[in-house]
Amino acid sequence: MTPETRGPAIGEAQSAERTSGGNLLEVTDLTIDFVSIDGRVRILNGISLYAKKGEVVGIVGESGSGKTTLGLAILGLLDSPPAEFVSGSIVFEGKDVLRLKEGELQNIRGTGINMVFQEPLDSLNPVYTIETQIGEALKVQRKRGDGTPAKEIEGESKEEMTQLLRTLCIDKPEEVLERYPHELSGGMRQRVAISISTIEKPRLMISDEPTTGLDAYVQNRILGMFSAQRKSGETLLYITHDLTIASQICDRIYIMYAGRVMEAGGTRSVLQNPVHPYTSTLVASVPQGFEDAPPLAVQLGEPPDLRNLPTGCKFNSRCPYAKDICREEEPRLEEVLPGRYAACWRVNKTNGEFG
Amino acid sequence: MENLVEIEHLTVSFGSKRRATLFRKAPPLKALDDVSLTIGKNETFGLTGETGSGKSTLAKVLVALYKPTSGSVRVLGRKIDYKNRKDVAFLRQNVGIVFQDPVRSLNPTLTVREIITEALLASKSIPKKDYSERIDFITKLVGVTRDLLPRRPRELSGGQRQRVSLARALVVPKKLLVLDEPTSALDVSIQAQVLNTLKKLKSELDMSYLFITHDINVIKYVSHRLGVLFYGRLVEVGDTRTVDTEPKHPYTQSLISHVLTLRQVQLQETVISEHRPSPTGCRYRIVCPSAFERCGQVPTWVDLGGGHLVSCFLYDHGPGELAEVLAQTGGGQQPKDRPL
Repeated sequence: MTPETRGPAIGEAQSAERTSGGNLLEVTDLTIDFVSIDGRVRILNGISLYAKKGEVVGIVGESGSGKTTLGLAILGLLDSPPAEFVSGSIVFEGKDVLRLKEGELQNIRGTGINMVFQEPLDSLNPVYTIETQIGEALKVQRKRGDGTPAKEIEGESKEEMTQLLRTLCIDKPEEVLERYPHELSGGMRQRVAISISTIEKPRLMISDEPTTGLDAYVQNRILGMFSAQRKSGETLLYITHDLTIASQICDRIYIMYAGRVMEAGGTRSVLQNPVHPYTSTLVASVPQGFEDAPPLAVQLGEPPDLRNLPTGCKFNSRCPYAKDICREEEPRLEEVLPGRYAACWRVNKTNGEFG
Repeated sequence: MENLVEIEHLTVSFGSKRRATLFRKAPPLKALDDVSLTIGKNETFGLTGETGSGKSTLAKVLVALYKPTSGSVRVLGRKIDYKNRKDVAFLRQNVGIVFQDPVRSLNPTLTVREIITEALLASKSIPKKDYSERIDFITKLVGVTRDLLPRRPRELSGGQRQRVSLARALVVPKKLLVLDEPTSALDVSIQAQVLNTLKKLKSELDMSYLFITHDINVIKYVSHRLGVLFYGRLVEVGDTRTVDTEPKHPYTQSLISHVLTLRQVQLQETVISEHRPSPTGCRYRIVCPSAFERCGQVPTWVDLGGGHLVSCFLYDHGPGELAEVLAQTGGGQQPKDRPL
């Protein structure tokens, strides 16, 4: 299987905005393939995005849209092989993450960029107590912050850790510190995992579906924590498939599909007035109303198979509005309204009208 | 309306064999405590609550994967004796279940056709020569296409697996389908498709649903009546619309106010404290902002009319006492979560 031609490039206006400076993170035209004995699969295709300092940026998409791969790539955690960087750059604070040596990357991880994963059981070490694990992160933070040697931290660290857990509304933090990950409930574990990330005070936090599968209360607790962090000026890249959550905490969102950005813009504006048919179907899929409400308006078909994508717009097989050009040529991500970008042939480039 | 399922004073305890110390047994954990509810014919009963509230325990009792410690379960008027194999068979003949995790609930070594056939073999309800006809009928109905039949679960997507689970549950006609978080593991667009299929199936196959999920937006969309569980106790039951718009129990009020919706921003900045259930009296009283002395006793059910029941002393009063109660508790305001 041969890789497809280069994906859509970013629009003029967006590049102008990007180069205006002040961006903590800039991803430009990122293309990543996964290579295996079965062939080559393009996981990300020409992704461009940026995050300004203090912003909460949402990456929204279904399974297989490449959200997590993007997060891992920014952190320099993708193994190569199977991953192969075809083109593009990921610039964090002026340094291209893709071209850094492992040692330099290690210095950025933790206090520079930090990531919270979906499944805390996989990211916490099962054989160490919570105290050891938070303590480890605290030591890294101190060492890089003011060069405090590890020994001097011991005394005061416990106080700081209980304080942190208390702000996350964990009951009896002293007891929790002595426990092992398997002894905690799912929501508690996730909050501990987040506390390990926050104690390092990262300049960019990536969180990958941290509240998926958790109930409303736990979700609220975790999201409340993130919005508190936003107030303190932390930059957050929030990866989720849940539009409801994205609508609550993100300033801007990128809608991803099959490794491409389909639509981008301010959260409120995108969700209230989606221009791309894919975004519209996502919005229409959120259950609303009571039992007597009409059936949910959703497109037919399954999520895309990355090994076997249609030619042209990758959404055309599920799109109710697809016309000939959609099956022939892939649309580029272009500015359709001020601050709003969409990759769709049927959106009028001058007034953002769909037609 | 005649009731399909009648559950009365159902209690399920676990762990009485566990030892707290060498010589003393740990007190049993009541996963469900004195739960009574009914499910009508052609009705979707929604059951919601936090993680650990006992939702799945109730689901498993209805298919005899757990036995009740006390209380009774009636299905189609027949009281189920969980020790009697015939009763258990009767229960499983009439009640199907779909689990949350379609990966772990399907046998990875069997093909889709074999998975569905297994259910037919176990029930012995129709002759073998009619199997393929029945399988064709049900797979078409739930949206499993023919080309999926020879595949194995790992070759399917999450939505397809959940449809196979549905087909397996329904290939033998059921009166009640228990859906335990059927869409929690799915993407939003796939969840929407499965919800649409479920609604369509219910009218075509003439059955009732017990729909269990922690997602209030989903449960509102599918259920006629709603029950709210808090640590093993049912605290409020009623018409979904009534419970959603006029929740009465302080816990339900708090739960509904924490549901995130797409169109408004209502994220609360304060982080909510952990819910510790009270071992005695009303389980919610430790965190309840309206708790008063009477809450030390187990609350009784109060009928608010129209099938809306609430298990809370706030509403259990004679006409003269109302002012007194409200004065004591600071009025019937929306409870706020207090920081620790």
